Amino acid sequence: MGDAVLMLIAVFAPLAGAFLLPLLSALSRTVRNLTALALVGASLVAALALLPGALRGDVVTFNLAAPLGLSLAFTADALAVFMAIVSSLVGAIIMLFSFDYISHYENQNEYYVMATVFLGAMMGLVFSTNLVHLFVFWEITGIASWRLIGFYRGKSDVLKADKAFLVTAAGALVMLIGILAVYGLTGTFDLATMKGTALPLGVSVLLLAGLLSKSATLPFQTWLPDAGVAPSPVTALLHAAVLVKIGVYVFARLFLATFAFDEALRLLVASLAGASALVSAGAALVETDFKRIVAYSTVSQIGFIFLGLAMGNPLGAAGALLYILMHGLAKAGLFLSAGIVEQNAGTKDITKLGGLIRSMPWTAGAFLLCAFSVMGIPPFGGFFGKYMVLSAAVSGGEMVFGAVFLCGALLTILYLFRLFAKVFLGEAHGVLAPEKSRLMVACVVLLAVLSLVGGLAVGWPSELARVAISQMLGVAG
Amino acid sequence: MTQLALVLAIVVPAVAGLLTLVLPQRRAPWAPAALAVLACAFELAIAVYVFPTDFAFAWPWMGFGVEFALKLSRLSAFVLLGIAAFSFLVTMYSAVSMSKASASRRFHAWVLLTVAFSAGAVLADNLVLLLVFWGGLLLTLFAMIAAGKTRPFATAIKAFVIVGLTDLALMFGVMLYGHLAGTLSMSATRLSLDGLGAVAFLLMAIGAMGKAGALPFHSWIPDAALDAPTPFMALLPGSLEKLLGIYFLARVALDLFVLTPESWVSPVLMWVGAATILLAVMMALVQKDYKKLLAYHAISQVGYMILGIGTALPVGIVGGLFHMVNNAIYKSSLFLTAGAVEREAGTTDLRKLGGLGRAMPVTTAAFLIAAASISGVPPFNGFFSKELVYDGALARGWVFYAIALAGSFFTAASFLKLGHAAFFGKPTREERQGKETVKEAPWPMLVPMVVLAGLCIVFGLWNALPIDRLIVPALGHAAESAHHGPFSGFPTNMLLVVLTAGVLGLAVLNHAFGVRRTGKGLGAVDHIYHAPGLESIYKLQATGALDPYRMLNGAAAVAAKGLFAIDRAIDWIYNVLATNSALATSWILRRLHSGDVNRYILWTLAGAVAIVLVVLAVVGGAR
Repeated sequence: MGDAVLMLIAVFAPLAGAFLLPLLSALSRTVRNLTALALVGASLVAALALLPGALRGDVVTFNLAAPLGLSLAFTADALAVFMAIVSSLVGAIIMLFSFDYISHYENQNEYYVMATVFLGAMMGLVFSTNLVHLFVFWEITGIASWRLIGFYRGKSDVLKADKAFLVTAAGALVMLIGILAVYGLTGTFDLATMKGTALPLGVSVLLLAGLLSKSATLPFQTWLPDAGVAPSPVTALLHAAVLVKIGVYVFARLFLATFAFDEALRLLVASLAGASALVSAGAALVETDFKRIVAYSTVSQIGFIFLGLAMGNPLGAAGALLYILMHGLAKAGLFLSAGIVEQNAGTKDITKLGGLIRSMPWTAGAFLLCAFSVMGIPPFGGFFGKYMVLSAAVSGGEMVFGAVFLCGALLTILYLFRLFAKVFLGEAHGVLAPEKSRLMVACVVLLAVLSLVGGLAVGWPSELARVAISQMLGVAG
Repeated sequence: MTQLALVLAIVVPAVAGLLTLVLPQRRAPWAPAALAVLACAFELAIAVYVFPTDFAFAWPWMGFGVEFALKLSRLSAFVLLGIAAFSFLVTMYSAVSMSKASASRRFHAWVLLTVAFSAGAVLADNLVLLLVFWGGLLLTLFAMIAAGKTRPFATAIKAFVIVGLTDLALMFGVMLYGHLAGTLSMSATRLSLDGLGAVAFLLMAIGAMGKAGALPFHSWIPDAALDAPTPFMALLPGSLEKLLGIYFLARVALDLFVLTPESWVSPVLMWVGAATILLAVMMALVQKDYKKLLAYHAISQVGYMILGIGTALPVGIVGGLFHMVNNAIYKSSLFLTAGAVEREAGTTDLRKLGGLGRAMPVTTAAFLIAAASISGVPPFNGFFSKELVYDGALARGWVFYAIALAGSFFTAASFLKLGHAAFFGKPTREERQGKETVKEAPWPMLVPMVVLAGLCIVFGLWNALPIDRLIVPALGHAAESAHHGPFSGFPTNMLLVVLTAGVLGLAVLNHAFGVRRTGKGLGAVDHIYHAPGLESIYKLQATGALDPYRMLNGAAAVAAKGLFAIDRAIDWIYNVLATNSALATSWILRRLHSGDVNRYILWTLAGAVAIVLVVLAVVGGAR
């Protein structure tokens, strides 16, 4: 029971505690901010406390019986613990970054409540093994992200928040039909009970629609770059670290850990992932908005994760998990650097930026390191994820997918360098903006360092990923 | 003990490099350079210490067949020695030449990290571990060019993208190899070159050639010659990258695959080598900058090595590896002379140089020896390795030999021009815009270039020393030939020697003709530049239109536009199609609700009739 309590803390501390934040703000803003960080930190600590058990291969479960198949079921296996640590770690760093970033704007209470609720719901989704509850948490993240994206109240900001909500919610409704169809087939909502079921392709596609819309994969990708209107910590939280990873996580949970993997579905997912990787990489090479470029990059890199999962072999799945971690760290760093540049230079149009390396050396350096990780340059963490995913495609005999994603990797190098050159090099436009907030710069540098350390010490996350794979696929990694 | 030494060979320079970055620069500006020289001396000591041993060990690392496996073989021991020796000499040189540069600290830090990654790359016995060190080299390459003085970032990015592209190819090749061989160890199986095996071979060869700077992965090198610090040129494109690239090409051809002359990839390699020799040397010929001219030769010379290994004949492979060593020696020596000239005369622009021979006698002597070596003049080292490569090339086809020989002609012609323009002749007063009084470079800069020039003589006159002691043992079975006598000593094929001598003589005649025609050393090859057909190609090249990097970027831009159009089309579905269909639907529904009572009664009646019909149908069906 002791470990089960940890799970409940991880989920309900932020989920319930979030609503105290507006009250605390009456006391002091600092108290509110620190409490928000503490709530997310509680999730992180609880998830880390689950780590030793997870590494041993223990599976912790919590069950609260309820009628109509609605029993509350939480499970902490290696996959869940891995994802929980990634989300809460990156979430906590982003929360810290927000202290300075958000302090310039109105509606701060809404921001802190929604961000904390969002992370709590993410935790709930990670540990849930009942499809109904999983769906509920899923929709809570949707509502929270709608408010977070619509943080600024401009007309087009609100429209884009609505677009993000409509696309993901529509996908979720389709998925809900899929969930009901699964119930019709198996008579249960409990994932553990339905393990090994072979789903008809139609039902899989219904579920997939929800997953792809949340993970902003082709053909549902365009809400993600549009949502770049949100404040930078929000885009980091949503686009880099957490929200878009929900889709891939649930994909792993459903199609690798639970249902029998259909060959046609495998090809479908891999093809969509490949198209997604190429199309959005191309878009990233054309766009001129800092955050839209990074957002397209996210869409592109999510394709790599889906490819790894779609290959269905231990190497690909482990690579996908590693890349969830490494991409989360590095991409959060890129979005937060975008935030520093945007807030201090007053624009995110890269044609109006330039030469910032002189006034923002730390941000530029951290950006470059994070970019190396996303490009997949060894010894940065991103390399190992990318290598394993591509290698899984090649060793699975899928040379075409391997080649397509190799082109994607090349485009990644090109668009990230284009971005770096336009923002940080070349001639300055007007006054060179300084970095100002040390806290914000420190967060970005921390993410850059973690991206490097994650690669040098790749053995540790890799070990957890291997345990997760052996639990999911029933084979030794 | 050997295990510890191998780990230290990687860890010590890496730690020293990181330490350099945090040293207090204000209080001890000499510290980074001193630390760099010390660490490289230590590296050299380790390389000498472990040289006689064979050793291998592996630690578990990432799983999935990826281990931290190091192996000291004959070949890696020999290349490690080269890496340590060249980095020691270059750091000693750069300690002085970079002493005033503000980037000295960063530069030395990257040099040390480069040494660490290079040591790791030659010792790695697991392909993924090799990829990791290879990637580390990509990062330090980027960082070192970025430490230059003029607009270095553009060149650094160019270098990164080109070499990064070849690294991706290498990565894909490694995956294919792992898939086919079932192992990622570099000393487990040799695959045959058929079907996917050949593809894997070529992809890995691209990785090796990209590192070595062969065509078409070369175009960052001449740019770097102008933008990056000169010791960088001596260390990376001059020596280490050639050592690493050719080392790995040899490993690929000998340890990972069975490269036979019958396989179709052998001619592919030979053509790449031949094209690299000829095209790059043609560019070198017309350069008017000391360092840029050398940079094109740094590319051209790789062609001989690739050609030699590509022959898949023992004589060619031995020649290719011997040429790798020789090139590293004379090329780094040449770059060091360029650095000395740059420091003392204030420029490397040949139009502003001239007559330096009297003021800088030691530099001039080193230049002459190294230039004779690269031109293939006996008895210097370059002559002997080139003859071996010629021997192999001729055995595989006269066309390869002819191209290689033509390359020699242009090499000799361009060095006659370079030497004449820089060290001899007399510049008029208005031409010399650099310093008024030129003196010899300080001794820590002279020692490395003199040592290297000395090695050119030693490895030439006593070529049995490198060939029989270093190269043939490193190659093992691949160096056994039934048809060929000993590789060391004077070349056995006298026809080749006579032809070489003839070509060198032609180069001298050509030089004399050109000088008489234009009246100055720099104009010695103007008649070749203005030759019909060639001039238009040279002019096109000068616009950058033939740069593969520009082509890559152009292709990527076109592809990106097409891909972006797809993205916009999908976005149109959401922004326009979805919203408009929602609006249209609501418009239709609104029209139906017109507020007219008669119409509503009609609707109600129609609905009632429909319900009755359905009920009747169901009841009828149930009966």
